[in-house]
Amino acid sequence: MELSGLVQNLMNGLAIGSVYAIFALGYTLVFSILGIINFAHGAVFTLGAYFTYTLVAGQFENNGLLKGINLFPAGSPLSGSPWVFAAATLLGAVGAGLISVLIERLAFRPMRARGADPLLALVSSLGVALVIVNLIQLLVGAEIYNFPSNAYGELRPALSFAIGDKIVVIRTVQVIIFGVSLAILAVLGYVIGRTKIGKALRAVAENPTTASLLGISVDRFIVITFFLSGFLGGLAGTLVGTAFGVAGPYFGVTYGLKGLAVIVLGGLGSIPGAVLGGLVIGLAEAFVPSDYSAYKDAVAFALLFVILLVRPQGLLGQNAAQKV
Amino acid sequence: MDNFFQSYGFLLVTMVQAALLGLSLYFPLQAGQLSLASPGFYALGGYVAAIMLTNPAFGGLRDALGNSVFPLTWLVAAVLSGLLGLVVGVPALRLRGIYLALATIAFVEILRVVSLNLSITGGAIGIFGIPQAFGFQDRWQYLFLFGPLLILTLIFAAQLERSRVGRAFRAVREDELAADAMGVSPTRYKVQAFVIGAVLAGIVGAMSAPFLNTWNAKQGTFDASIAILAFVLIGGSRNIWGPVVGGALLTAIPEVLRPLADWRLVINGLVLVLASLYLPQGIVGTLSRGGKPPKRPDPAPAGPNTEKISSSHNSNTAENRP
Repeated sequence: MELSGLVQNLMNGLAIGSVYAIFALGYTLVFSILGIINFAHGAVFTLGAYFTYTLVAGQFENNGLLKGINLFPAGSPLSGSPWVFAAATLLGAVGAGLISVLIERLAFRPMRARGADPLLALVSSLGVALVIVNLIQLLVGAEIYNFPSNAYGELRPALSFAIGDKIVVIRTVQVIIFGVSLAILAVLGYVIGRTKIGKALRAVAENPTTASLLGISVDRFIVITFFLSGFLGGLAGTLVGTAFGVAGPYFGVTYGLKGLAVIVLGGLGSIPGAVLGGLVIGLAEAFVPSDYSAYKDAVAFALLFVILLVRPQGLLGQNAAQKV
Repeated sequence: MDNFFQSYGFLLVTMVQAALLGLSLYFPLQAGQLSLASPGFYALGGYVAAIMLTNPAFGGLRDALGNSVFPLTWLVAAVLSGLLGLVVGVPALRLRGIYLALATIAFVEILRVVSLNLSITGGAIGIFGIPQAFGFQDRWQYLFLFGPLLILTLIFAAQLERSRVGRAFRAVREDELAADAMGVSPTRYKVQAFVIGAVLAGIVGAMSAPFLNTWNAKQGTFDASIAILAFVLIGGSRNIWGPVVGGALLTAIPEVLRPLADWRLVINGLVLVLASLYLPQGIVGTLSRGGKPPKRPDPAPAGPNTEKISSSHNSNTAENRP
């Protein structure tokens, strides 16, 4: 492969891989605390994108119960500035985080109280996903919604430079996605690694019973975890939506599944693992030759299958899946 | 009566079909294996039948066999599903609990993407115009195929449970190490249970292709995996009637709710949430115990994988070290 192609693929891979990473972090946080996989995470991802869309555009097309509503008539000051878009993204992610807390409250906490089979928690979270996805469809229809084209205002033009006689184009969106993801990962790494809250979170993840004996309110930290998880999922949804448009209520399903591949690849419950897994899968997908691009969606699952057979604990995981 | 079958035949057949798919997941679960691979084998079986019934390459075979070609498709689907089950099962069954579930999800997704891109499977459009089995005129007549298959499967499952193999399945489920120490080979029985499920799902697929008239990559998806898992867990995972009741009921609910049109899928989701909250033993489990507490004093009264999965996040306890 020529150098220009290599650089191009690398950039594409890093951008999408960093989104996979922050999305998958949401999965892995919940898994590390509760030991269950929250299958509603993909739906939360979708919700985040829809929340942000509502805040910046506020206009719904011809299907669904909210059809024809226009929150911000043309010329509103709420569009066109990158800062407004950034604020909307943040609010969208907060909204997704709150929904995630609600999901914990309705679908997981009652299960925990009864000591129910974790498999049932899985079915319950799937039920929640079904409810969310179909409510979206009911309310705003199944259309593709694109963020306003002036979302980034003057930042819009893409960067491009020449290597040899080929031109490498890096979309501004990709740079923003990569930058935001890095910033989020740095903040999260700091919070979990260095602060008191992070220490308590890790204690709960390690052993909830002991943590509660040490005076840590386990329920409170579970709520914090779900908020963080939903925040990250919703943020990833908006970032992907910014790059590709929000493709209907089922937008998050593929990401939900790929996120599973990411966290298993990195090591279930491992935070650095989720980041590594995200980047590996993003890069692997970017380097699929264009002749085989139809098989791109299978790459993540092929990697998942192989890693499970070769090293079930994942790249950075420590506990043996054999005993699980 | 004719009228009844005209109106509800399709639904009835779909309910029986769902019960069968539930059972195909129930078999591996008997050996403690949470496998979500059923839709993969179901899709494979359907493609086998669809290709044998429509592809010009098999024209001569169809002419020579007449209606006998249908049972032949079931047989071929069963054999191929069984072989694929063996190929996937032997390595995958080293995994447990959620890891096996994820590996089988990956398997289903890979099969889906592959079938979406092959020309023999008709790519994204799929295969259509599949002839009706035995020249059936009405969809309800498929009860003549799915009904006996369900009865046979139930008899087989009941016999299996009483047999040595069935006891070995349960031994592996309850305590693999102890079973191994007693000379019951976990690998062997896990693979057996997995392959039985695969074969059943394959046959159901082969019968479903003519029933649905068309077959495409949408038949074997993650959603289907979850739907089938829900059949078993909501129906009850400890009794052969669980998957049957769960499959039939969960298939019927969206149809019964049809007057509620757009809301029915939302309600279907709520049913899943509420049922997993309030019927943790599944419908059959709850009914058959008559409200009495479970026999085993178990801190977490539940299905087969409770202890195994919930221990997965205690990464630093001694016995969890590699």
